[in-house]
Amino acid sequence: MVVGRRKAAVFGTAFALRLILVYFFPSLPDLLTGRVEVSTPVNSFKRLQEGLHLYMRNVSPYDGGVFHQAPLLLPLFSLLPNVRYHPISTAIFFAIVDLVNAHALAKISESGQSVQSRLHSAMRKNIRWDGTTVAAWFLFNPFTIATCLARSTSVFTTSGILFAVSNAVGGNSLNAMLALGLASYLALYPALLFVPLVLLSYDQRAEKTPQPPSISHFVAQHVGIFVGSIAGLLGLSVLVTGNFWEFISATYGFHLLVPDLTPNVGLWWYFFIEMFDSFREFFLGVFWLHLASYVGGLTTRLRRQPLFVITSLLGVFAIFKPYPSISDASLFFATLPLYRHLFPFMRYTFFAVSALLYSSLLGPAFYHLWIYAGSGNANFFYAITLVWSLGLSVLLADSIFAAIRDEWEQDHPERRGEEVKQV
Amino acid sequence: MTTPAALPPLPFNPGRVRSYVLRLPLFTRLVLLVILVFWLLELQTVWSVVTWGALIPNEINIGTSMFLLGTPFAFEPTVASRNGSGLTLVIVYRLNTYPLIHTGFFHAALNVLALTPLLERFEAEHGTLTSIALFVGPLSTFPGGLYTVIERFLLKSNTQVIGSSVWVFLLLGSEAIRTFKSSPYFSLGPYKIPTWTSPLFACAVLSILVSSASFLGHICAILIGYLFGLGYLKVFVPPEKVLRWIEGKLNLLGRLPHYVSVDQKTFGRYGVLPSVNAAATIRSLRNNPQFLFGRLPNILSFLCIVVGVAWLLLLPLDEYSRQTYISENALLPGQVHAYFTGSEQNIFRGYKKELQGLIQDGREQGPLNPAVVSTPEISNKISSILRDAGLKVATQKYEYKSAGITYQGENVYGIIHAPRGDATEAIVLVAAWKTADDELNLNGVTLALTLARYFKRWSLWSKDIILVFPPDSKTGTQAWIDAYHDLHPASVQPLPLKSGALQGALVIEYPFEHHFRSLHIVYDGVNGQLPNLDLFNTAVAIASGQMGMGANLQEMLQHDNSYQDRLKTMMRSMTKQGLGYATGAHSSFMPYHIDAITLQPKGEGWEDEMALGRTIESLCRSLNNLLEHLHQSFFFYLLMQTNRFVSIGTYLPSAMLIAGNFTIMAIALWMRSGYDSDGKSTLGAGSSETGTSKSDEKAASLKGPEGDQANLNGNTVAERVLALPLTLVSGLHLLGLLPLWTFNTIFHQYFLFATYAFVLVDLLLPLTLAAWLSHGLGVSKPFIPQQYLLVKSFALLILGLCLSTLATLNFSLSFMIGLLSAPLSFVTRVSGSASTRYPVAVLGLVLMNLLSPPAVLLGGSWFTGVSIETILTQAAFGWDVWGMWTQVVVWCVWWPAWLTGCVLLGSSLF
Repeated sequence: MVVGRRKAAVFGTAFALRLILVYFFPSLPDLLTGRVEVSTPVNSFKRLQEGLHLYMRNVSPYDGGVFHQAPLLLPLFSLLPNVRYHPISTAIFFAIVDLVNAHALAKISESGQSVQSRLHSAMRKNIRWDGTTVAAWFLFNPFTIATCLARSTSVFTTSGILFAVSNAVGGNSLNAMLALGLASYLALYPALLFVPLVLLSYDQRAEKTPQPPSISHFVAQHVGIFVGSIAGLLGLSVLVTGNFWEFISATYGFHLLVPDLTPNVGLWWYFFIEMFDSFREFFLGVFWLHLASYVGGLTTRLRRQPLFVITSLLGVFAIFKPYPSISDASLFFATLPLYRHLFPFMRYTFFAVSALLYSSLLGPAFYHLWIYAGSGNANFFYAITLVWSLGLSVLLADSIFAAIRDEWEQDHPERRGEEVKQV
Repeated sequence: MTTPAALPPLPFNPGRVRSYVLRLPLFTRLVLLVILVFWLLELQTVWSVVTWGALIPNEINIGTSMFLLGTPFAFEPTVASRNGSGLTLVIVYRLNTYPLIHTGFFHAALNVLALTPLLERFEAEHGTLTSIALFVGPLSTFPGGLYTVIERFLLKSNTQVIGSSVWVFLLLGSEAIRTFKSSPYFSLGPYKIPTWTSPLFACAVLSILVSSASFLGHICAILIGYLFGLGYLKVFVPPEKVLRWIEGKLNLLGRLPHYVSVDQKTFGRYGVLPSVNAAATIRSLRNNPQFLFGRLPNILSFLCIVVGVAWLLLLPLDEYSRQTYISENALLPGQVHAYFTGSEQNIFRGYKKELQGLIQDGREQGPLNPAVVSTPEISNKISSILRDAGLKVATQKYEYKSAGITYQGENVYGIIHAPRGDATEAIVLVAAWKTADDELNLNGVTLALTLARYFKRWSLWSKDIILVFPPDSKTGTQAWIDAYHDLHPASVQPLPLKSGALQGALVIEYPFEHHFRSLHIVYDGVNGQLPNLDLFNTAVAIASGQMGMGANLQEMLQHDNSYQDRLKTMMRSMTKQGLGYATGAHSSFMPYHIDAITLQPKGEGWEDEMALGRTIESLCRSLNNLLEHLHQSFFFYLLMQTNRFVSIGTYLPSAMLIAGNFTIMAIALWMRSGYDSDGKSTLGAGSSETGTSKSDEKAASLKGPEGDQANLNGNTVAERVLALPLTLVSGLHLLGLLPLWTFNTIFHQYFLFATYAFVLVDLLLPLTLAAWLSHGLGVSKPFIPQQYLLVKSFALLILGLCLSTLATLNFSLSFMIGLLSAPLSFVTRVSGSASTRYPVAVLGLVLMNLLSPPAVLLGGSWFTGVSIETILTQAAFGWDVWGMWTQVVVWCVWWPAWLTGCVLLGSSLF
């Protein structure tokens, strides 16, 4: 069991690293929790604490307008010992969630769907990393570690998405829909992954069974499961909070209408600060439409590789979400190594990685100049978020280019290795 | 029609002359016409064309004309005036007009005779448009400019020149070069004389014959002619494409008579245009990875460093620094009369007597120590004086421990509530018992007490005024300001009495008894943070403008406004900023975004404490005017004089270039590591892209099927082995935490020992690591050459990243560290035969060890004469109390990078 030992070593080291960091730098989790790059209004652990405090005292957690996360997190966290006195138990819990996510990722990688699926077979399918390596990429990514230490509740959304995908590639489309339902229930935007996920499940089903069901029937069936799972979760939520409309407007309304313009690494906050109020609704519509429009285009163009559509959509979300944080970027970076065979096609990775490195150092520095030293202003930080988004977009566009190039080479084997020009 | 060649040579043939004149091309005609017009104009007496258009060296502004010389198409006065600068027009048109103007008929006629054939030939050869571009542009400005420079700066005289003889000699010069190329010598008896000297003879003969001819002017013209003939001025020739386009658009050939088109030229163009050359160069570069990844980055990195340093040295010049100005209009410095005089002096004397008595008492009872100024009696005295003046008073005890030394004391402070305010804003006046130089600040404290009593009686304050009396300048204000914002450690008492947001702080020092001459302003904060420039400017404006006492900065009591003094001032401020320590009681305010300065009287003069009091009164009145926090002016600046500064946009590139040199090197090393390590295969451009594209494949590429990809890509791109280099570099950076912890935690007695111990560690650790890497020592596989490249690449990448980020926070520190680690770009693993490898590596290691952080610390201590223990105690104190993070940069950025460099050098020994 050589592979088993390697996997155990990677997971054990990752777990130990998280605990060591918490143990030796006790102020680090709170510091990270306070960083705008890590904690947004919809995933902040601090806000969760506030909601938990109200919930434990039988007050509606949404009173006071601080807490905007899904209500089912509250009973879950009320089971954990108080973080004030036992921070280590919360740290262990979040570290375990990370390991579970990594395990799901390893399963996706081992399924080989990224290189060989029903409609597509990559040209360089022998250049790939095994599941443990992909999991190690996820577990030792500084952004993942920061998210874990900051105890951001995005990790549960990440779990939902990764489990949905891992079940879909495993052929278990029912579980996939349930997991996606959970993710959408927690953060709303994963619902956009529904279409590629259904296609992914369908491809699996069609490959396995000799008589594949008709696609419309399959989709209708899975829409039913998906909606049912969300309805179930919402029903449970009503049991927890008691007031349906209050929690809907405090959570999904908050996601959709973006009332909190605290700085984050995304592109929305600055736009909506600068915007006149009369245009707000219009541009909210435009921004959401823009975000949603990628689903159709990417799914159609890359119909043969639904898993890659999910990967690139995760990249799109990390850039264009209303409240993005580095945890979204870390999820995108986690799925990219599945496409190791596309790396030789990518052309601007060094540039993109440098831009990301520079912005992750300069971002905190400029935020400090703006907020604490007072010698900078909001434009400093905003400029860096632009660079960050630019880095991510270049990486995303480059990977999509590589995927399309791969498809093209498959279609035109005689023209392999030719120079191409992107217009 | 007969051809001219068929005619018998006649001494004078009017018909031939006529046909020659009639066939003169367009530009030549124009020039002749203009010369004629100017000669006619000179006939009238109202306006002197000669004085208007002659080349008079002193009339030429060198900065402007240099600028124009560099831009070939901006010569025409009209262009200059269209650019919006009337001044430029006035100054520069002379460089273009002088060849067209002559002193009299004979001058004009002779020049026209000499010029016409030469110019005609030139135009026929090059085309009308090119001739216009060249003769309106470089061919008149270059000789003129050269002449001006020599005349004005070398000969220091001012002889004016006019006349087209400059073109004559220029064209003769270029013709001579052409002749030289076809027939290099003409023989005169046994001597062979190079043909290119002929214009020089002509020039000499002319100077002898015509005494008024300018020998220098002609020589300049000949020189430019030589350059033109040799083809060095080709760049100024407008590209053929543009010319054709203009011709085609305007249909010049159809409209203008005697126009010489681009296509009609007698001879070809000037060979290959430079742009084509450049493309070829780039093409050949791309096929030469040895140069592209080996030598070019070295050159670029070195250039970055040199330009970065040169940039900094340029800053004190007038062109790069700016005059300071008050940006916040609400401040109105010096617009109010200061009334602090007369009877207030008696009160000052009274207070001083009382305090002096108490200090004497304290000294008689206790040990004879000026430190005994914060006794309870004195605190009580200050409290009672403030209370009698009508202030609310409170005290705060604090205690700090650092490097085994305990610092404790008691702050006394009082608040004047603003009669017109709502206690939401306040100004702070600080008078510490001990100044920043540890002198007894009796006069300062007394002055603050007197001012408290005086200010209390005014009704115009709209901000509270807080007077703080800490026992010393290092700890007291820090404890007070921390507690004011409720961020104090447990050993510091909270403040029982508070006011609003602090808008500014002034620290008063007056540690001697005699009268003073000028006011010295200290403004550096912890970690190189600076107060808003407006506060400094207000202080300077009030001290030198309103009070007439003059202001100094950075201990530059004698400042003669020279380059040296400016540079010295700048260097001193950069040193303080870079080291990041607190330079006075005001420094503690800066991290809380409260602008603060210290006012120190300096020198022997006739200003007394009342003058200082009036200055402070006026400053407080200015701050009182503020409607919002100081924000208008600069927060990042380098001052080089009380009224000159450089802002961040101007100076930042210098540190960024130095940081950029590491990044360039890192990128180059990354690319190089992607090539086959032996460098046997020469690779096309496509493979370099493949090399870079793998930038984010890291640890596990070990398992990638290497040969397969190489086959697929059809070339030998080496797979990068990243796991070990990444681990090594991050491990070394983590190792930096060890010295960081050590030097901030151990007791001060051991600092000297620890420093020497670290010198030893720095000597041995790289060698040990190098031996381990080279031989593996049974733990891992030995390093391959590619991994050394990667180690260096990662280390330099991190260094470059950190330094460029740091440059935005603390420019000076980034610059200093960048300069000290500049050799790291160039040290690498030495390969070659043992006889050259060992000496080079050992020598490199010795030199590197001279630049190690502890060695630099020892050198600094030796140079300044301050003991190691004092420096490190101060540093540890800064870390513990002030929140200084210079150490973090030294141990976690500089030291790991240095260590990596030494490991690479050391590995060549094994």
